[in-house]
Amino acid sequence: MQMTWQLAARNLNRNRRRTLLTGLIISLSTAALILTDAFILGFTDTAVRSATRMFPGDAQIHQLDYLAERDEALVIEAPQARLSQLASDPEVVGYSPRVMAFGMISSAADNRATQVIGIDPAQERTVSRLADAMAEGDYLAGDGAETQLLMGRRLAELLDVELGDRIVISVHNQEWGGAEQALFRVSGLYDFNARMLDEETVFVLQAPLQTMLGVDDAVHEIALALRTPALASDPDLPLWQRLSDEQVKAQGWTTLMPQLAAMLDMTRASMAIIGIMLFLLAALGVTNGIFMSIYERTWEIGVLLAIGTRRLAVFRLILTETLLLALGAIAAGLVLGWLATLTLGAIGIDYGSMELGGVAMAEQIRPRASWAQYSLYPPVVLALTLLAAMYPAAHAARIVPSRALHKSL
Amino acid sequence: MHATKQRTASADPATGVVFETRELSRHYGSGDTLVKALDKVSLTIAPGEFTAIVGPSGSGKSTLLQLMGGLEAPTAGEVYLRGQAISSMSGRELSDFRRDHIGFIFQAYNLIPVLTAAENCEYIMLLQGLPKAERQARVESMLTRVGLSGKADRRPAQLSGGQQQRVAVARAMVSQPDIILADEPTANLDSQTGSDLLDMMHELNRREGMTFVFSTHDPMIMERASRLIQLRDGRIESDEVRS
Ligand SMILES: Nc1ncnc2c1ncn2[C@@H]1O[C@H](COP(=O)(O)OP(=O)(O)O)[C@@H](O)[C@H]1O
Ligand SMILES: [Mg+2]
Repeated sequence: MQMTWQLAARNLNRNRRRTLLTGLIISLSTAALILTDAFILGFTDTAVRSATRMFPGDAQIHQLDYLAERDEALVIEAPQARLSQLASDPEVVGYSPRVMAFGMISSAADNRATQVIGIDPAQERTVSRLADAMAEGDYLAGDGAETQLLMGRRLAELLDVELGDRIVISVHNQEWGGAEQALFRVSGLYDFNARMLDEETVFVLQAPLQTMLGVDDAVHEIALALRTPALASDPDLPLWQRLSDEQVKAQGWTTLMPQLAAMLDMTRASMAIIGIMLFLLAALGVTNGIFMSIYERTWEIGVLLAIGTRRLAVFRLILTETLLLALGAIAAGLVLGWLATLTLGAIGIDYGSMELGGVAMAEQIRPRASWAQYSLYPPVVLALTLLAAMYPAAHAARIVPSRALHKSL
Repeated sequence: MHATKQRTASADPATGVVFETRELSRHYGSGDTLVKALDKVSLTIAPGEFTAIVGPSGSGKSTLLQLMGGLEAPTAGEVYLRGQAISSMSGRELSDFRRDHIGFIFQAYNLIPVLTAAENCEYIMLLQGLPKAERQARVESMLTRVGLSGKADRRPAQLSGGQQQRVAVARAMVSQPDIILADEPTANLDSQTGSDLLDMMHELNRREGMTFVFSTHDPMIMERASRLIQLRDGRIESDEVRS
């Protein structure tokens, strides 16, 4: 046994360049697997954060049927008690009550159907980036005029309006069932780089919209920011139970934005497929490298077999060589993958204002390391490398000594 | 490594025969291209013989040695080692048979390049499962007997062709086989070195009683043999014991 290790180590040392090249294949694929995984983690982080932190929040509370029907009559009644509960929940770091209406907005030039959202400016800051997205004018002031209105710069272009111009909003009043109109003035313009928000949404203060809708102090949605945003992807989080009752339901972003969840799943799946294919190619490279080393030693293996080495021992020798090579190469690959993750994580990968599934990637993607990358991939790579060595090892074990040595005996 | 069979005297004194081939044939190809590399060869090898197999190229010398050493299976006939047929052995049994009973010396490149002279000799004893002390004692004494005591730690590439063949002889001897089969062991050496190697083999044969069968087509070399078997077209043409 000791001889097997010694022989294996010395054999690897024989053709250093080939050993290095074969090892490099293993190292690079280990590093690539780790970096790809880290990239997907970072990508998911950024995509989710961009999507949730831009406006929707990590989670939302609605009247039970609201999301299915989007009927303005399906309100969260007397939200004050719920808001106090949220204020004291340690897991909730921000919450914003929202009045949501579908309406017609008209400028002097044109009119369009949009969503009209009534917010509490101070609370909205704790959940979304609306305040940060302001490009011109001012964010809503809680104690300012009731006619303040924010819209996207894109929508302002479409309606041909500027700061200070008049806008008439028309919504459906829930008490008497008719159209209720009111005059607003454009007080601020924002850019989210997301079509829905930039072209089909306007923001006003909560009170005037509640009056127009005739819903008293009721709201349609409470958006939440959580202390640990990653938890929001768990559909069984206890928090959902805590915040739900027979009237309202709290849900995380994966249920609220199934398209985003599906897109991320798809991204992960396609990355996994690419990873598997890359690794199969790498395995072929390893198989090839080992075959070359065996072809070069056909004679010698013939001698080993002729003088009484069992075939199984030859098989074991080739696998031992591969094991030694793989252990070294994987260790190098781990360091390489870690350094690459660290470097790219520090620099960040800029996706500009690329929009994915209606979500603009608001931040750079920062590859993120995880324990799974360093505990799961090494044994998988090792196992696949040994598997890749089985075929050439079996070939070596089947060498016929009299044929390998036909020049002599 | 593996349990070793207790080694007794190389030869079976009861019969006076180490090796026997009966009607041994090896054919290659078929029909028009049929080659009878070996055609019904029957012979016996007695312990302590120093036998040369001679004959022109293609006469079947290598084939005979391969069949005797269990490296090839015969088309017909049988090889007996001290009365025991080897054709019934499994692949693994044949492996162990070669390890324990046969010493091989090939024309060249006998040695494992990454192992030193001593390690090349030790390797086969590791396969036999001998304890370390015994292995080292045998290697030391064997390398001394082939005149390479100072070169134990050299790798084959650091040895001359003649020295490499001496290590090959040492490796074949250390496992204490019943017989050493050498296929043209001097063919790659200049005549003086080849002659020296054969003298050394003959010395080991005379002093230690090791049974050698070697092939050659060098007249100088065959002169040294105590028995000369001439092959032609796969058949024994003559078989003479010399004084
Ligand atoms: N593997 C083989 N396939 C076909 N023919 C072979 C093979 N090995 C040997 N032969 C033929 O068998 C005959 C004997 O060969 P061999 O035993 O090598 O002779 P020698 O060693 O005396 O030169 C030759 O005609 C050779 O061509
Ligand atoms: Mg020959």
